Amino acid sequence: MKKIAILIAVTSFFIFASGEKAQAQCKQQRVYHCARKGGNAIYLRDFNTKLKAVRSERSINGTKWPVVLNRGTRYRFILCTPSGFGNDVKLTLFDSKHPETRPWNSTEKSGGNMFDFICKRSGVYYVSIRFKQGKGKRKTCAVGILSFVGKNQ
Amino acid sequence: MIVDSFFTINSIMIKKLIFLFSLAIALSSCGGDDDDEVITADDMQDDSRAVQIDPEKINGLIESFPSPIEMAATIEDLKVPYSKKYLVPTEVAGDFDSNFEKALGLGMLSADLGYLNVYARKNAIVEYLTSIKRMADALDVDQFFEFQTLKRLATSSNDLDSLMTLSVMSYHDMDEHLRKTRRSSLSALMITGVWIEGQYLACKVNQFKSDKSTEEIIAGQKEILSGLLDVLTFFDDKPRFKTMNQQFKDLLKLYDKVEIKLIEGEDKITYDQDSIPLIEPGEHTDIIYTEEDLKNIENKIIQIRNNLISL
Repeated sequence: MKKIAILIAVTSFFIFASGEKAQAQCKQQRVYHCARKGGNAIYLRDFNTKLKAVRSERSINGTKWPVVLNRGTRYRFILCTPSGFGNDVKLTLFDSKHPETRPWNSTEKSGGNMFDFICKRSGVYYVSIRFKQGKGKRKTCAVGILSFVGKNQ
Repeated sequence: MIVDSFFTINSIMIKKLIFLFSLAIALSSCGGDDDDEVITADDMQDDSRAVQIDPEKINGLIESFPSPIEMAATIEDLKVPYSKKYLVPTEVAGDFDSNFEKALGLGMLSADLGYLNVYARKNAIVEYLTSIKRMADALDVDQFFEFQTLKRLATSSNDLDSLMTLSVMSYHDMDEHLRKTRRSSLSALMITGVWIEGQYLACKVNQFKSDKSTEEIIAGQKEILSGLLDVLTFFDDKPRFKTMNQQFKDLLKLYDKVEIKLIEGEDKITYDQDSIPLIEPGEHTDIIYTEEDLKNIENKIIQIRNNLISL
């Protein structure tokens, strides 16, 4: 019995120790499929988040990431959510002059799951993925994609 | 009585099994999304100062930096002809010994791989993938670099879009893993490698055929370079960083002469043929520089990049 116990413990350790790689591969699949929705745009980076249910104002709603954009480039932002959650979540692009409450754009504002943005000032911008209206009854996950459409000459 | 003690022994064993199983799960979950991983003594030494200051701030700054493929995509979009002589020769990269050099090289070669990807140079892609794999192995991030898949895509597939996407994803996963394992200094070197190699490519392209768009890409890096230096100066207490950082500080001084003016304007929203909304801000920047300013900046960028690969 003792030997079986040790065997199970050792086996489970090895199974779960490779968890990080498996998790990375799973994430890669989600990101890869979302990136492909951008058409001919070239994938640059992704924004991956797990959204916990938000029932009160004190709960943390989503995540924000800083992102450096280059002047003169047309970028594409895409939001992917599991089926059934598309209307609950939004991706927002903002910066210090256009805060999240008055952003450059969001998937909610533009009414779809993607939008393009021509950067006219090189610098740090922010992307957030959050529940719309600040609240979400069910936990979910979401992937945002930033891709390169072209130079705006 | 015998049956009772049999059940008692078995229930103890089952509890032990549950405990061992839970322990295995708990140990393995340390590699999850939010938890720190096991840190080696070397790593702690490598990143100790950063951890004392503010790892969150550094990681946020590092994370914001452009992707290794962005400059290459920009250059290709400007219809500039391909030239392999702009890239870091893989034989030179083979001589990178220390972790400092390897992390810097990993960034530079990732930018070069981006360049090869957008120009669809399959043979050279395999050569650069092999070099990157060697560095990823040495930095212990090879598990995030899908070498076999990428090699297969490069050699036996016409799906270069997938190759491009997967190689950029691998880069981000390696970078993220370094930050998660508190090796932010190596991550900072990777983004430095990507940035300097991207700028070097832009400078070489501009020297080959001068163009207003390319000039503005180079001249417009003032704020981005300043952000990069914010990251790098966190590691100023390390002698190799200090020497390298001084070169970037000298470059930033040259940018003092470049004036970036913010012009107000009205935002425009249009829809393209696929009905994707396009936001064009009215507010934009004018970059004011002289030919001499640009030449000095280009020469300095080329000098820094060449110094870095001959470490």
